[in-house]
Amino acid sequence: MEISLLLNTSMLLTLLIILTPILMPLMTMTPCPPTSITHYVKTAFLTSLIPTTLFMYSGVESITSNWEWKFIQNFKIPISLKMDLYSTTFLSIALFVTWSILQFALWYMASEPHITKFFSYLLTFLAMMLLLTSANNMFLLFIGWEGVGIMSFLLIGWWYARAEANTAALQAILYNRIGDIGLILSLAWLASTLNTWEIQQTIHHTQTPTLPLLGLILAATGKSAQFGLHPWLPAAMEGPTPVSALLHSSTMVVAGIFLLIRTHPMLANNQTALTLCLCLGALSTLFAATCALTQNDIKKIIAFSTSSQLGLMMVTIGLNLPQLAFLHISTHAFFKAMLFLCSGSIIHNLNGEQDIRKMGGLQNTLPITTTCLTIGNLALMGTPFLAGFYSKDLIIENLNTSYLNSWALLTTLLATSFTATYSLRLTIMVQTGSTRSPSISPINENNPTILNPIIRLAIGSVMAGLIISSLITPSKTPPMTMPFTTKMAAILVTAMGAILALELSNMTRTLTTPKQNPYSNFSVSLGYFNPLIHRLSSTNLLNSGQKIATQLIDLSWYKKIGPEGLANLQQTSSKMSTSIHKGLIKSYLSTFALTILIIMATL
Amino acid sequence: MTTLNLSFYSAFTLSSLGLAFHRTHLISALLCLESIILSIYVALSIWPIQMQAASPTLLPILILTFSACEAGTGLALLVASTRTHGSDHLHNFNLLQC
Repeated sequence: MEISLLLNTSMLLTLLIILTPILMPLMTMTPCPPTSITHYVKTAFLTSLIPTTLFMYSGVESITSNWEWKFIQNFKIPISLKMDLYSTTFLSIALFVTWSILQFALWYMASEPHITKFFSYLLTFLAMMLLLTSANNMFLLFIGWEGVGIMSFLLIGWWYARAEANTAALQAILYNRIGDIGLILSLAWLASTLNTWEIQQTIHHTQTPTLPLLGLILAATGKSAQFGLHPWLPAAMEGPTPVSALLHSSTMVVAGIFLLIRTHPMLANNQTALTLCLCLGALSTLFAATCALTQNDIKKIIAFSTSSQLGLMMVTIGLNLPQLAFLHISTHAFFKAMLFLCSGSIIHNLNGEQDIRKMGGLQNTLPITTTCLTIGNLALMGTPFLAGFYSKDLIIENLNTSYLNSWALLTTLLATSFTATYSLRLTIMVQTGSTRSPSISPINENNPTILNPIIRLAIGSVMAGLIISSLITPSKTPPMTMPFTTKMAAILVTAMGAILALELSNMTRTLTTPKQNPYSNFSVSLGYFNPLIHRLSSTNLLNSGQKIATQLIDLSWYKKIGPEGLANLQQTSSKMSTSIHKGLIKSYLSTFALTILIIMATL
Repeated sequence: MTTLNLSFYSAFTLSSLGLAFHRTHLISALLCLESIILSIYVALSIWPIQMQAASPTLLPILILTFSACEAGTGLALLVASTRTHGSDHLHNFNLLQC
């Protein structure tokens, strides 16, 4: 049978299965219960394995063009979906992770009265994300981009009675909007210069101009929480844990990196843009790892860890290795979603406790959850032959053997060791030691609805790296020869970070109180970024706005240059001449004498 | 310059200085004003004869007309100030200063 036909058909069938629970209630007016939504997503996952295996077997890629929007005479925008490596692999992984998260959400949000609406929001988000990843032109990608932004807003502010949740949702929208300006700039440049929005037609054989690439990098900075537009990601933890697991760890935040992967042919020959990506990613990963060292909220630690891994993906883009970045996206989705699910289970079991200083000794009461938490943390650290190893170690090897900015190299290595430190700190404080939580909450994990997703994702975390990296053909040859120290660099820095964490945790057990020093203050207050930027930038903007509106236009142009200014001028001259007009006849008559004297002088 | 010019210039100058420096009475100022006009009348009358040009012969008549109006206005001011202030002293007008 024709393979490309089968590929297209199964892909479109998968997307249709996803869309059915959204469209059916609109047409038949009966709501779709959450359990059946979970079954829909499971069916969609199983169906999506067909295009994935077809692609991995035969390497066939295809582009489907459906209806075409004839915008103006020579600029047509088709609805074209591209099925290549990135699209098909991401489809399967995203559906697998979403299926597990939806099953988990059945247990987590069981007491929620609007659970059906929650599930339909999650499903709409998934549809938008899949549109973004399978888009072949920038127009569809932009639709998916905005769609995931809107759903993120709705889902972060799910508990809208909480003021912090509303603030966090608004913050997410604002920061994403600043990134969207960059994307719209690139779209406008592409439309005006190259007269197309198809990604295949944007490839230059010479160096691409830097302006659209800056726009794309700004868009990625906003959506993927790189340094400068990052505060929304830790604040987005105000949403429910399934939202954090789906959006802000696996799927939405990788949209920025995915954009750069899709438009990588444009980036490949512009060294300025690549170096910018590299340094920005290195800065983001180090900053996020530093902030994660002193956080006490379990969800915020995992959020900063996500931010740090996104910085690492940006570094990979800067090394001109989009396939490796995509591999890291895929493996990262598994263990990060699992970390969030484990933390959700712990939070629910401890009756809403999110502070790790009030958790401890959970290894005995929640054995499966804490085992999977440990597996996830080990995968995050890049333990050899778990999922994270195949992508992270390759990235660090490529980093060490490339000709690039050495500052970026050093910061990435430092951030890798910090990753080990905060992961081990999380594990030790949550699982081991004496129990610091109140003993009233009934802790159990007997429900298969919570156990099956976590175990499934744990199996994925262990095996996904091996499976994915052995089934796709790399587009660039990985570095094969390097000195022994360089090869072992990632493991060495990870081990150093782990030993440091163990040493520090011994200090806390012996009640050695930490002194406040500038470095710990920097880490705790998240680098002083939030209060500085939030107050300074809004003050400056509003001040300059007031100056332009009130002082420039109202006061100056309408008053001073017009009537008031004229009146002032006349007043000045009147004041000057009033002192001359004295009303004394003597002085008036003296002017006659002066005139005569002048006439005499001219004779 | 000729004798005629000198007499005209000196009459005009003396009358103007008299207008400027008579400080006490308004009528002395008006008198000097009249003598200014008189000297100008005489100069304007002599001028066409010296230049042998006939057109400006009309000018003294015009000057006379204006001089008469002016003298009338000046005397009216004199009478008005006498009626309000009681005399024609010039220092009465200083009350106009602000």
